[in-house]
Amino acid sequence: MADIAIFCFLASYTVAFALELLRLKKPGRLGVLAGSVFLAAGFLAHTLFLWNKGRSAELPPLLSSSQDWILVLAWLVIGLYLFLVCCDRRLSIGVFLLPLVLVLVGASYLLEDRPNQLLEPDVRARNGWAMLHVSSLALGSAGVLSGIVLSLMYLLQHRRLRHKSSTSPGLRLPSLERLSRMNWWSVVISVPLLTVGMGTGLVLLLSGSAAPGELTLGDPVVIINGLSWLGLAGLFGWMLLRPRATGKQVAWRTLLACGLLLVTVVGLSVLTSSGRVSSRHASHSAQVSERGLIATGGHR
Amino acid sequence: MNLQVIYCNHQTSSLDVRERLAFTGDEQLAAAYSQLREVFPGSEAVVLSTCNRVELYTAQENDGAAPTQEELAGFLSSFHGVPLEDFLGDLLLQSGPDAVGHLFRVCSSVDSMVLGEPQIVSQVKQAYRLAEQNAACGPLTNALFQGAIRVSKRVRSETRLSEGRVSIASVAVGDFARGIFDRFDDKTVLVIGAGEMAEETLQYLKADGVREVLVVNRSLDRAEALAQKWGGRGYGMDQLGELLARADVVVAATGSDRPIVDLEMFTRARSGRGDRPVFVLDLGAPRDVDPAVAGVDENVFLYDVDDLQETCQRNRSQRSGEIEQALAIIDEESDRFMQDVYHRATGPIVKRLREQWSEVSRAELERLRGKLSHLHDDDMNQIEQSLSRIVNKLLHPPLEALKDEARDGTPHGLLEALRRLFHIRD
Repeated sequence: MADIAIFCFLASYTVAFALELLRLKKPGRLGVLAGSVFLAAGFLAHTLFLWNKGRSAELPPLLSSSQDWILVLAWLVIGLYLFLVCCDRRLSIGVFLLPLVLVLVGASYLLEDRPNQLLEPDVRARNGWAMLHVSSLALGSAGVLSGIVLSLMYLLQHRRLRHKSSTSPGLRLPSLERLSRMNWWSVVISVPLLTVGMGTGLVLLLSGSAAPGELTLGDPVVIINGLSWLGLAGLFGWMLLRPRATGKQVAWRTLLACGLLLVTVVGLSVLTSSGRVSSRHASHSAQVSERGLIATGGHR
Repeated sequence: MNLQVIYCNHQTSSLDVRERLAFTGDEQLAAAYSQLREVFPGSEAVVLSTCNRVELYTAQENDGAAPTQEELAGFLSSFHGVPLEDFLGDLLLQSGPDAVGHLFRVCSSVDSMVLGEPQIVSQVKQAYRLAEQNAACGPLTNALFQGAIRVSKRVRSETRLSEGRVSIASVAVGDFARGIFDRFDDKTVLVIGAGEMAEETLQYLKADGVREVLVVNRSLDRAEALAQKWGGRGYGMDQLGELLARADVVVAATGSDRPIVDLEMFTRARSGRGDRPVFVLDLGAPRDVDPAVAGVDENVFLYDVDDLQETCQRNRSQRSGEIEQALAIIDEESDRFMQDVYHRATGPIVKRLREQWSEVSRAELERLRGKLSHLHDDDMNQIEQSLSRIVNKLLHPPLEALKDEARDGTPHGLLEALRRLFHIRD
């Protein structure tokens, strides 16, 4: 169990995704069953991997490293997928969600995996705040990912219906009505969560968890992520102010805002971990707040 | 005997062509039969016009009177005022056994867009009834259409063709409306028309739990009668614009020869309800909803019968087993029907031959009775029976030969030979 590597569940998810693609061409119960087995096996390995990492670092996986944070995000997405598949086995969600999971798990290879050895006793006391910071960012990001997938599904279903194409037996999508509702909720839930994450990060920063001079509001990661968050918050405001907006308008805007945020989060995580972007988020400081920021790719 | 059908259907032509050739309403059909009688005086005729097909069946007892494909197409062209070149390539002609098999397939719904749909039987019955009312039918078309209805019953009872989604409405709702709406119990359905198709659609939507049913029809009585049956409310056509604004699902199934819902009316109705999705199903041929309505905004989802082709084709390919079984029954029944027809063609000769020979035997018996007056009645009866047996035995070989020949078509050669050999006159 201790030997479980990222490759184990990455391979399982890849096979499950390949089977999903195969289902598009050749739908059948056997494909669904085989896909579910690989997915469940991957999810189990994924869970055990995070459990082991958390135990060895003596921290929750969300706090242990930026690699683990992104793996937790992927784990949440897979959990959501499994839940949706259990609700309706015929829905073709995997073909949209699994590529994102593969990108996240693949990106984790590029992120630093150093445990938080510099944790100081006074900062440990702030673990509650740090945990709230990173978990709300992780949950909010999972909502963002859901928003991307739901928007894609909506646009695809809308296009099919407008072009009067028959339902493909291998690609069953929920109705526009349901997709629109779920999309709305994904944004409405994820934006406040991300805001809480940003806010708690700010509290940690201002309360002195970060070493003076090491982390500033002028940090490029803080600025870029802040702008992405503003984009999403703008979408949130627009949705609340325009309740009669069409599902297609919401889907396009969600796709753009959430897509931008996802690319920013993953891209900046990779760039800061590789040292190509100079930021205090890239370094493992002695402050847990900063480790939280690194883990989230610098959401503030 | 001649039998032919000229037709265009969902497989051979687009709705654009079919709606221009469609016969809408009893009055137009009466005018068509009147014109058919003038143009083809020696022909029986039945017109079958549905949203998926326009078919003209003609039959003649006399071989020489059969109209050609050009003549029949010319009739359609002049009656509808549609240039021949606009549809000639879409028309198909079948004759004799092929025409019989075609009608049997149509009536058994093997040829339908939605495999196994039950409406076609009543549409065929209705077409036949109208032809009868207009005195356009004759012995051949009577036999043909009664045979078709009988075959369709057999196909439905001996195969599983009628199971599953067997109406255009069910296919449209199942494949498209369910892609738009998650549920129907909070939706308002507007049905335009109060005919069989409208009722069939309502039945399906009601089973899906629609909240509110609105029925609009030219005849308010019929609208109210249908609405009452399905727990809705009936309205006259003058309220259509207002009701369109309330509906989430619009089903149009009238026999109108022009669009009832035009772009202006729909745009006006749409402006009052924001961008809520609306599913519009146009089951009319000619269409009841102007196709331009689909472009009003991106949440208008308009479908006509031809838009369901792809789904129906997939449905067909999934049920190839049942189709084969149905086709086997249809082939068997077509052969039997043709044998009966051919056999019926030999009937007058057989009857005349029997009468002629019986007359000879009767004359001989009378002569014998005069010469042998001492014989008792019992003896004469014995002689009479013997003569009758001789006639039957002598007639048996030629009649059997005639029967055998009639299996593959009207035995014109043999009939002519019998006429000449035995001096049979019509």
